[in-house]
Amino acid sequence: MQFKFFFNEAVNSLVRNWVMSVAAIVTVLVSMFVMGLGLILFFNFQHAIGELRNKLEVEVFIKNTASPDQINELGDEIRAMPEIKQVIFVSKEEALARLRKNLEGHEDVLDALSGNPLPPSYEMTLKDPNQIGEVASRFYENPIIDNTPGTHDGVKSGGETSDRVLRVTSLFLIGGAGFVFLLTVASVLLISNTTRLSIFARRREVEIMRLVGATNWFIRWPFVMEGVFTGMMGAAGAAILVLVTNRFIIESVVNKMPFLPFNADAVPLFWLVLAVIVGGTMLGSVGSGLALRRFLKI
Amino acid sequence: MIRFENVSKVYDPNIIGLKDVNIHIERGEFCFLVGHSGSGKSTFIRLLLKEFEPTDGTITVAGRNLQRMRRSALPYHRRNLGCVFQDFKLLPNKTVADNVAYALRVTGQPVRAIRRKVPEILSLVGLGDKMNNLPDELSAGEQQRVSVARAFVNHPSLLIADEPTGNLDPDTSVGIMQLLYRINRTGTTVLMATHDREMVDKMRKRVIALEDGKVIRDEDKGLYR
Repeated sequence: MQFKFFFNEAVNSLVRNWVMSVAAIVTVLVSMFVMGLGLILFFNFQHAIGELRNKLEVEVFIKNTASPDQINELGDEIRAMPEIKQVIFVSKEEALARLRKNLEGHEDVLDALSGNPLPPSYEMTLKDPNQIGEVASRFYENPIIDNTPGTHDGVKSGGETSDRVLRVTSLFLIGGAGFVFLLTVASVLLISNTTRLSIFARRREVEIMRLVGATNWFIRWPFVMEGVFTGMMGAAGAAILVLVTNRFIIESVVNKMPFLPFNADAVPLFWLVLAVIVGGTMLGSVGSGLALRRFLKI
Repeated sequence: MIRFENVSKVYDPNIIGLKDVNIHIERGEFCFLVGHSGSGKSTFIRLLLKEFEPTDGTITVAGRNLQRMRRSALPYHRRNLGCVFQDFKLLPNKTVADNVAYALRVTGQPVRAIRRKVPEILSLVGLGDKMNNLPDELSAGEQQRVSVARAFVNHPSLLIADEPTGNLDPDTSVGIMQLLYRINRTGTTVLMATHDREMVDKMRKRVIALEDGKVIRDEDKGLYR
């Protein structure tokens, strides 16, 4: 294959139709950038869910009416369970102290309280986060747990939180995937239109190529390359934008709003950039391929 | 070299391109194809290039039956034919040398061979000093020389010229004719469709006359009439 010749032909044609080329490059750039952002969010949520799951714990709140013996008995019972990694008893006083610490700067709110309304509790972490639901259910019927009758609100488990996070995340991802799909279709169509224009601009040339006995692929290669270059250039721009976003935007978000589950290091950048570039290149080749099939009659 | 057997071509709706044509042209012949516009000259040439299929009959070029030729073999068939047209069909944004090199490139010739052959053929047609000009910077006669150089650079066994002198003044036409004659002398079969009465009468070569798609005359050392 005469790579250099095809390369020059492709580049010349890109430059000659530069307006359409730029339009196609920008579309690829936008769609790949949105895909990149989606992936950044995805990895961050994954990371956050992982963190959450590692910290997952079951906390049981004990009725204020329970006697110290009953409380100790429950503690022994919990310690005897093989799934438990660690148990911490949180007394009423400690619970209040924690709350006071959380409210730092606004402690005066607590002064309005009469006495200590907080219940004592046991916090347990598990060896295997997947067993959370099962362990939590063992406390549902326990008489000294502070359940509102008919519910199990005296037992809190991290499982619910992570389920909720998962549900929100998947909504996000489905929406994002739909958006990326639409943009992908748009970029394929634009690239195919660019290729169509350049086929049209070079129809004389194509006619002459046929007359002098060029094979089909000899005629097609420059057009395919043109599409691939368009895709690659868009993708390269998108990759740079994605890197910049991950580095600076996410970092500043983390600095300003530390409670959000973002982390610039959560993203496997190499794979992300690879995905963006491969994606863009594929958009380019599919787009030009479509146009060649429809418009280049040989 | 060329054999037409009972060849007919009907375009829809019912316009006759060629009707029951039987022609045999030997290797190395120089042959004129004459007739009014619409007499079937272009159909004849386009059938040779296999741009479309005849409605009826068989066409053989260089021993190969065009109807039985696969589409994938078509480029190789065309490399064996050189074509010169009335409108030159040069690429306006490529230099003279690149235009000629084009025909070599598509056949996958190595760059070194291209660099050697292009100046050779261009000096043969008398354009050795215009290699790096664009076609627009040349006169019509010079452009047609480039086109002849491109057609001949692969040394095809058959050279087809469709009204090559149609856009040229008489003096320039003589130059192109001399070029085609020299090419014919190297053993290449030349088939030339033309309106140029003077040229045909002067050359005294074989003349095939078409009218309404039929061969009305086929004589050696013929005249235009």
